[in-house]
Amino acid sequence: MAEGFDIDHLAKLARLNLTDAEKALYSTQLSSILGHFRALAEADLPSSVDDARVVREAALRSDEPGPSLGAEAVTRIAPAARDGQISVPRVVDDES
Amino acid sequence: MSSSAEWEVVIGLEVHVQLRTRAKVFASSSWGFGQEPNEQVDPVVLGLPGTLPVVNREAVEKSILFGLVVGAEIPARCAWDRKNYFYPDNPKNYQLTQKDFPVVVGGSVEIELPGASRNVMGEHKRIRLHHAHLEEDVGKLSHAGSGSLVDYNRAGVPLLEIVTEPDLRSAAEAEAFLRSLVAMLTQAGVADCDMEKGQLRCDCNVSIRRPGAPLGTRTETKNLNSISSVRDTVVYETARQIRELEAGRAITQETRGWNAELSRGYVLRDKEDAHDYRYFPDPDIPTLELSRATVERLAKQVPENLYDRQRRYMDKLGLPFTAASVLVADRALAEWFEAAVAAHPANPQGIANLVANDLLRDLSAAAGAATGFGEAAPAPISLASCPIKPAQLAGLVKLTDDGVISKQQAKEVFAEMFRSGQDAAAIVDAKGLRQNSDTGELEKIVQEVIADPAVAKSIAEYRAGNEKAINALKGPIMKRTQGKANPGLIDQLLRKALG
Repeated sequence: MAEGFDIDHLAKLARLNLTDAEKALYSTQLSSILGHFRALAEADLPSSVDDARVVREAALRSDEPGPSLGAEAVTRIAPAARDGQISVPRVVDDES
Repeated sequence: MSSSAEWEVVIGLEVHVQLRTRAKVFASSSWGFGQEPNEQVDPVVLGLPGTLPVVNREAVEKSILFGLVVGAEIPARCAWDRKNYFYPDNPKNYQLTQKDFPVVVGGSVEIELPGASRNVMGEHKRIRLHHAHLEEDVGKLSHAGSGSLVDYNRAGVPLLEIVTEPDLRSAAEAEAFLRSLVAMLTQAGVADCDMEKGQLRCDCNVSIRRPGAPLGTRTETKNLNSISSVRDTVVYETARQIRELEAGRAITQETRGWNAELSRGYVLRDKEDAHDYRYFPDPDIPTLELSRATVERLAKQVPENLYDRQRRYMDKLGLPFTAASVLVADRALAEWFEAAVAAHPANPQGIANLVANDLLRDLSAAAGAATGFGEAAPAPISLASCPIKPAQLAGLVKLTDDGVISKQQAKEVFAEMFRSGQDAAAIVDAKGLRQNSDTGELEKIVQEVIADPAVAKSIAEYRAGNEKAINALKGPIMKRTQGKANPGLIDQLLRKALG
């Protein structure tokens, strides 16, 4: 396991089948990328950087309902649809 | 030898509540139960290219109000994160949620356990909350044949996830917690919590341990949509874990489901093989800074806590637990009762009796008749359409207290008030129900009755010490006054006349 991550775990999450050579290559590259971000994290920056992402309540939306697309438009952009619903391969998490 | 009595169950709940808003939490699409599939969806809900989420102010304020109701901290800033997972209930492949900076931190909920009997108040306990965060609900999947169908109407509905500390110790406590939480959420107008409509769903964490030992391995049963399912899950999961441990096996940390029809739990197949949601701060929604002025404004909307109200009714107004607990369960009912007490402060118990018994009975019967619900499914009580106003009920109690009508007659007058909406005094006059409290006239009738030889035997018995014999004399007096004689006064006059 390389520093800070597990390449096998990441490959599984990304649904990638990697060869040992690829794992070694990507481990090295990912370590280098993470090292770059570590350097950024350690940089001494003024705290106001964070404040740039802060908004006050005036930026909130009022609770006014707006228009909907309608089921016809929603299902038209889906790869498959039936009875106004989007059709997908069966996903199961009920008792089996 | 080991037995179940030696195990302690530790429960923590994650309660998902749909907030009472008109629009969705990050989009302007409306939402509501019972719509045709995918009719309440807009480009922001679907995460279509070029769209940006904007937080709904009402959803934030309802979340803050909840925090104030449970005495929590409202941090100056809160922020949203992406919880990434690939599943069709989620159009964007991530759910917007709050991981590190939730809108509500801490707080606690007072609960009341069932008493030894219905008219005895049970033990009170305080359950700590860890935090509550504001997130978006996900779409709804239904399974049909070889495929699944997706309805995104529910996607983006504001969802407050309320997370407890592992403070609950029994199924009864979990049930009491949820009842108390629902009362607080509905009484503050934060949420409607209609479980039939899926507005409150629960994940239930259960582990067992020997008392005093470190926490055991827990399981999480997901997506429970009723209070009874939570209670049954705790009972089932406790028994299962005890069985496993006592057979020398270990508890696996797992996600489970609950089959309410078969009353049994089962292991869920996970949405992903490996759980890693790769949370990161959502770049589209800036950190939100909340002003103290908003928090102070919302603090004024916090209603009296229901158990504080119950204590006040019992301690200050002298109500029995049975009446107090019925009144405080419904904020509108409690406020109605208080308006009546304000109009006649001398007898809160008398008013409480009529409200908690007669008024509620007639209101639910009227609501049942209107909606066609039978006794088995009590319809919601609507005080708004109640024909009797609080001051009118107070007037009825005052007439009884002043001896103008008897308690028995009060029931009759109440029924007429509920039918016609008239004042009690008007009905009493129209029906000629005013009790005869004219001492002179009644004394005369008493003398006539006791002079009748037919009652000589009863008089002798009374004088010989049989207290009850006096009742035989009251009938004829009532008859002569057409039932209008003040019963208390007759009793007094009879005793005086018989020496």
